[in-house]
Formats: sequence, structure tokens, C-alpha cells
Amino acid sequence: MLELQTLSRHFGGVRAVDGLDLSVAEGQIFGLIGPNGSGKSTTVNVITGLFAPTSGKILFRGEDLAAVPTHRRLRAGIARTFQNIRLFGQLSVWQNLWVAQNSAEDQERQGFFARWLGGQGGVRAEIAQLLEFSGLAHKQDELAANLAFGEQRRLELARAMAAKPKLLLLDEPAAGMNSEEIAQLRERILSLRERGVTILLVEHVMELVMGVTDRIAVLNFGQKIAEGTPAEIQAHPAVRKAYLGGDAA
Amino acid sequence: MDFYFGLVQIIGVHTLLGLSAYIVLLTGQVSLAQAGFFAVGAYAAGMLTVLAGWHLVPALGASAVCGAGVACAVGFPALRVKGLMLVIATLAFGEGVRLFFFNFDYQIAKGEIKVGPLGGEGFRQIRFFPENGWTTGEVMVFIWSIVAAAMALLWWFDRSRYGSVLRAVGEDELAAQSVGINLTAVKVSAMTVGGAIAGVGGGLYAHYTTHIEHASFNILLATFAIAYPIVGGLRNVFGTVLAVIFVQGFLIEGLRFLGDWRNLLFGALIVLAMNLRPSGFLGARRRA
Amino acid sequence: MLDFLQAASDGVLFGATYALIGIGFTLVFGVMHKINMAYAAASIGGAYAGLLVLKVMAAAPPALVFLGAFAAGGLLGWMVYLTCFHFIPLSSPLATLMSTVGMLLLIDEVIVHFTEGMPQNYPAMFDDVMLRAGEFTLRGDLLLVFGVAVVCMAALMLLLYRTRLGLATRAVSQQPVAARLCGIRLEQVNATTFVVTGLLGGIAGALIGASVGTLSPLLTTPLTVKGLIVTVIGGLGSIPGAIVAGLLVGGFENVFQLYRGVTERDLYVMLLLFVFLVFRPGGIFAAKSGGD
Repeated sequence: MLELQTLSRHFGGVRAVDGLDLSVAEGQIFGLIGPNGSGKSTTVNVITGLFAPTSGKILFRGEDLAAVPTHRRLRAGIARTFQNIRLFGQLSVWQNLWVAQNSAEDQERQGFFARWLGGQGGVRAEIAQLLEFSGLAHKQDELAANLAFGEQRRLELARAMAAKPKLLLLDEPAAGMNSEEIAQLRERILSLRERGVTILLVEHVMELVMGVTDRIAVLNFGQKIAEGTPAEIQAHPAVRKAYLGGDAA
Repeated sequence: MDFYFGLVQIIGVHTLLGLSAYIVLLTGQVSLAQAGFFAVGAYAAGMLTVLAGWHLVPALGASAVCGAGVACAVGFPALRVKGLMLVIATLAFGEGVRLFFFNFDYQIAKGEIKVGPLGGEGFRQIRFFPENGWTTGEVMVFIWSIVAAAMALLWWFDRSRYGSVLRAVGEDELAAQSVGINLTAVKVSAMTVGGAIAGVGGGLYAHYTTHIEHASFNILLATFAIAYPIVGGLRNVFGTVLAVIFVQGFLIEGLRFLGDWRNLLFGALIVLAMNLRPSGFLGARRRA
Repeated sequence: MLDFLQAASDGVLFGATYALIGIGFTLVFGVMHKINMAYAAASIGGAYAGLLVLKVMAAAPPALVFLGAFAAGGLLGWMVYLTCFHFIPLSSPLATLMSTVGMLLLIDEVIVHFTEGMPQNYPAMFDDVMLRAGEFTLRGDLLLVFGVAVVCMAALMLLLYRTRLGLATRAVSQQPVAARLCGIRLEQVNATTFVVTGLLGGIAGALIGASVGTLSPLLTTPLTVKGLIVTVIGGLGSIPGAIVAGLLVGGFENVFQLYRGVTERDLYVMLLLFVFLVFRPGGIFAAKSGGD
């Protein structure tokens, strides 16, 4: 589904991402972990097109993404959530989901006129589903800025889903959550996989990563230092060194 | 009575100017170019009715198209320029349009006199209304039916997905891109619609004042245009209308008794209004 | 060719005033990320206020008038800060923009009111001095304009780079929150920025009056536009940029006037802006503090 070939992104002298090779298969939940500053978020930003790679390739379903601008990548099937939530605060929950319905499927299904100038009627059912899924149905007319933090996170995820993605990039979705919320998030991610969404999970919170991913890659200083199943990664000495420094038991 | 009709006409035309700035402002672009599109529409409609003998309605259609065309052309380079730089660039554009008309001569002979724009002198004898027997009251109603149509159009946009997308772009361009919104299409389309509305406003303006000149389309007018939606707030189109009524009706007419002091007070009142209520009359919603 | 050189050199010398105005706009932008639309008007207002010196002392030397303009400019700068930036929350950029426009209108009207719309003569210095090199002339008054402007710019650079206040100002322009946490009083830095740019503006206004010979309220609009053009071409937030751009615009303007006349001149200056916006939107030197 997604392939990164010697992907590099430099900012002046800083090699945020350095020669990264990664392959995510369809239907996988792939974890990307690493200490702060290891290049995880930059990788997500490059995949979604916010930054152009300094060198290397990104292949999505076999297609080279080099010339594809950010908003088109969404239409091609890549959606993301943001680490520090970027909701449209002055729009309601409902509207946040509405403006995100830009998938190729939606474009074909509804005519141009209906999609842009039509009222809310045509998409009511779909958006209701998304609201149901995120437990936000009762707050659909509330301004996004007025939601509680946990609710905002759920809306952020729902909004990414509104785009009917094939690949979903989650950027630290569990930050600031307690165990109960993490368990709920885990359930949601698993049910997304059941709907056929491939997931790349960038995360710090090990409770989530180890419990939900099929495969994990570990970054440090922009380079991949390990890759394997959660069990393999937990036992990996290089990973331990990166996180804990030196040989720690 | 005619005096009040005249005032309502002015409010109507300025509302169109304000609405043209409103839709562009929704996308986060502060544009001081609307007076320029207004000027283009004014000269276009005037020239069509006076020099080519067109009826007003198709002439207004042409001003809408001209305004839209110029706005679209401005919209693209405007994308490269962010925030306050855009304010400056559009300000300069507006001034450029004004200077263009300052230097613009196109006269033809009609009978014994020459008619048409004459550079600094302006464009006189735009007499479609008087020549066709329109009363002041009828002109007022005509102007306001167009204003009502424009308001209805923007109200419709606001209620549709387009409206929410405009506001999403205005709020966070990065997030908007990431959910698949084509920023270029959205921003340029808003600018184009604004240009069309301003163009029609300009066409109407030319005909009810019968005499236009470059000096009418100055920075003050450009400021008025953007002031209306800022002072009125961006919640919906009514804020802009209210602001026009406040500025033109209350400030300009109501304070007329102050004579010369009125102009002094005008600037001071804007400063005061912005200090007291920074988000405008009908500012951003607190609750949905 | 000689005409061209003459026009260009006269223009560049005069352009030093545009550079000062551009610096004023760009400095406020660099520190507060806002545009003070009233700046050019306040500068001209300061110049007018300088004339009050002549009311008190009819035979005052021009230097005193300039000094009056200098001081008045600073005062006006502080007033604009108070009315437009002190009370309005920084999270309402549209409101501050609008209120500076309100001040622009107010200052314009005050000028018209007190002078009854009549242009005022402005004292000049060295206007009878001409340095000649064959056919080529350097006007004494323009040389003075250039010289004074250079002195002001140098003083500003000294202030910014050699004093604690300057250090605080640069800190605020780069990281306002961190600067606050280090104990720098934001309001003080902002107010001082306005006073300093006001002082510069007052001098610029006086210099313009001196080289043109008269002051009129009609000057404020074109000066605002040109000042902003200079700021954009130079790069928002860049003082060296404003200096170079100011001289450039001054030079180009005069050359345009030579070849196309006064009425079309400003159109071409506008075109110069658009060329820059299309090909180099960041300006000659991109802003140091990250721009917008």
C-alpha cells in the first residue's frame, strides 16, 4: 500500500528523515516509534505532501506521489490526524465532517453542483454514521472549539475518516489520554482496520502501540534502527539503547 | 422624500461593495482591491449604456463579468502573497486601477457633444435613468432588488458546503489542505464572486450618480469596502448590511449637522469601535 | 543618457525619505507583526506640527522646524500606539488594522481642518546649493535629505544593535512569549518601537516637505502606498531591505517620470511592485523574523 524508498528530508543541516525505507502492506496496522525528534512527524508530513522530500520516493498503491499536491493526496486516499489537533474551531462538529468529504468516491457519487451548493440533506446519513462511530452525535451542532479535549480528538479522527481513506496516518492520537480512553481508541483503530483501512500509527504511548500494531519500525535521528513485530521490538537492544541510552536492563 | 431615497440608494450600493469584501474575507484574505473591481464595473457599465446604447440590465451583467474577470486575474497572484502582504498588494492594485482611469480617455461624438471617460475629468453624462424616466424611488427599488439577490446568493452559499469550506480555509489553510480542499480553487473562486458583486455595485453607482471619476475610487472607498464586513462581523451577511447602515446612515448622514467636524469624528469613531468591539457587531459565534 | 543619470540620482537621493518611511512600516511589522496604516499620515502630520515652531518664532532656522517635526512625529507615534495597539487584543488583527486606518483618516482630517486645506510652504536648507560636475548636478537640498536620512538610519542601527532596548526589541520580534518570560515588558517595547519609528517618520515628513517645497494633506495617500510598496519590495521585517528598496523606488520613480510624465509615473511604480510580488514575494531580503 505504502512504500518509502530511501526517503530523506533535510532542513538545512538537520537530517530530520535520513534514507528511510519502509513498506506498509494493505490492511496492516503499522507502528512508527522513536524518541522525540527522531523524525516521525516529519515522515508523516512528507507523506501527506506538506514537505517535499529532499530525496527518495513515496509510492502509494504503486503510484509515485512526487507530483501530487497535498489536497490531491487526500483524494487519492491518504488522510491524517494532527498531533496538536487542527480542527476548524469556528465550524460545528457536523460542518467539520462535512468539509472533509473530499474523497474520490464522493466526487463521483454526487455531481459538482450538489456537492458544493446543495444542502445538508444528501450526506446526512453518512455523517450521522461518522458521528455515531465517534460518539459525538449529541454534539453535532456544537462549535468544535467548545468541545472537551477528548471529544476534539475523536472529532479529529472522525474528520480523517470522513475522507474515506485507504491509508490513515495517525500522529500521536493517544497523547494525553488515560488508560480507559486508550482502550477505546484501540477498539476504534481495530474497527477501522475491519472496514479496510490501512493504518500508520505514529505514537509514543507504548500501551497503545504494543497492543494494536502488527509491525513496528523504530526511528532514531531520522534513520530506521529496527523493524519487526511488537515482541521483537520490545526485545531489541538497539531500541532499548535509543530510548534509554546505554545498556539498561 | 427624494433625499431619503437617495440615501437608501447609497446604502444599497455600499452594501454590494461590503458583500464583495465579505465573501473574500471569509477565506481569510483581507482585500483592499474591491474598490478597484467596483471602478471597473462602473466604467464598463457606463461606457456600455452611454457609448454603445445598451440597456442597463445587460450592461450590469457585463460589469459583473468584467469585475469577475479582473478579480480572477488578481486572485491567482494573490495566492502567493500571505496575510498583511496581501493587504498591501491589494491596496496597490486598487490604486493602480484608479491611476489607470485617471489616464483613460475614450470619447465618441454624440451629436454635438463628446461623451465618454476623459481622464482626470471623469466620465460625465451617464444618464440612463433620467433619459428613461426612472424616478428616484424606482431606482432605489431596482438597486435594492439587486442587493437582495446578492444577499440571497451569499446566504445560500453560507448554508451550503461551499460556505463551510470557505470558512475552513479562512481558519486553517494547512488543515483544509489536509482534508482535501483545493485552496487555489476556493480562494480564487471567492475573489471572483466578490469581483462580480463589486462590478455590479459599481455599475449601479455609475448610473445613479451620473458622473464618475477616478477620485471616487480611492483608498477611502477601498477601506469602506473592507470595513463593512470587519465592523459588521463575519457571522452572516446581515452584519455587513448593519455596518453599512451604521456607517452611511448614522455616521455620515446622521452626523451631517456637525459640518466639518463630521469628517474628524469619522476616523475617531472607527478607532473607538475597534477598541470597544474588536470582533465586530455580529462577531464570531460563541455557540453554534 | 545624462538625463537618465540625473533623474536616477535625484530620485535615489529623494528615495532616502521613502527608505525612512519603509523602515517605519517594516520595524513595526517586525516587532508586532502588524501594519500601522497611519504611519505615513503621522509622518506628514509631524512635519506639519514642525511648522508650529515658525508660529512661535517667525524667523526660526529650518533646523529647528525639522527638530519640531522630529519630536512631533514621536509624539504622534505614541498616540497611534495608544489608540490602536495598546487596548485592542493582539488576537484581533483586523481590529488593529481597521483602527490604524481610522487614525489615518483622523490625522488627515485634522491636518485639513487646521490648515483649511491650503498647502503650506516648508523651509528648506541648502536649496540654493548646487554641486556641478559638467552637465551633471547634485542638488544641495537633496544631498542634505540623503545625509540626514543616513544619519537617522545609522542611529537606528546603533539603537537596535548596541543598546539594551534594541536587544529587547529584537528579542520581542523573534519570540514575544519567551521575551516576556525573560522579564521584557512587551508594552514598553511596543510603545517604544512606535515612538522611535514616529521620530523617524517626523524627520522623513520634514525632509519631504523641504525637498518638495510645500506640504499638502494630499501627500499622505501616495506616501502610504509608496511606503508600503517599499516595505514589501524590501521584505517585510527587513530594515536593510527597506533601505535598499526605498532608494530603488525613489530612483525608478524619477526615471519613470522623466520618460512617461507625472500622471503615469505612479502606475509604473505599482507595476514594479507587481513584478516583485510575482517573482520575488519575499522581497529583496527575506524577513529575519520569519515573516507571517
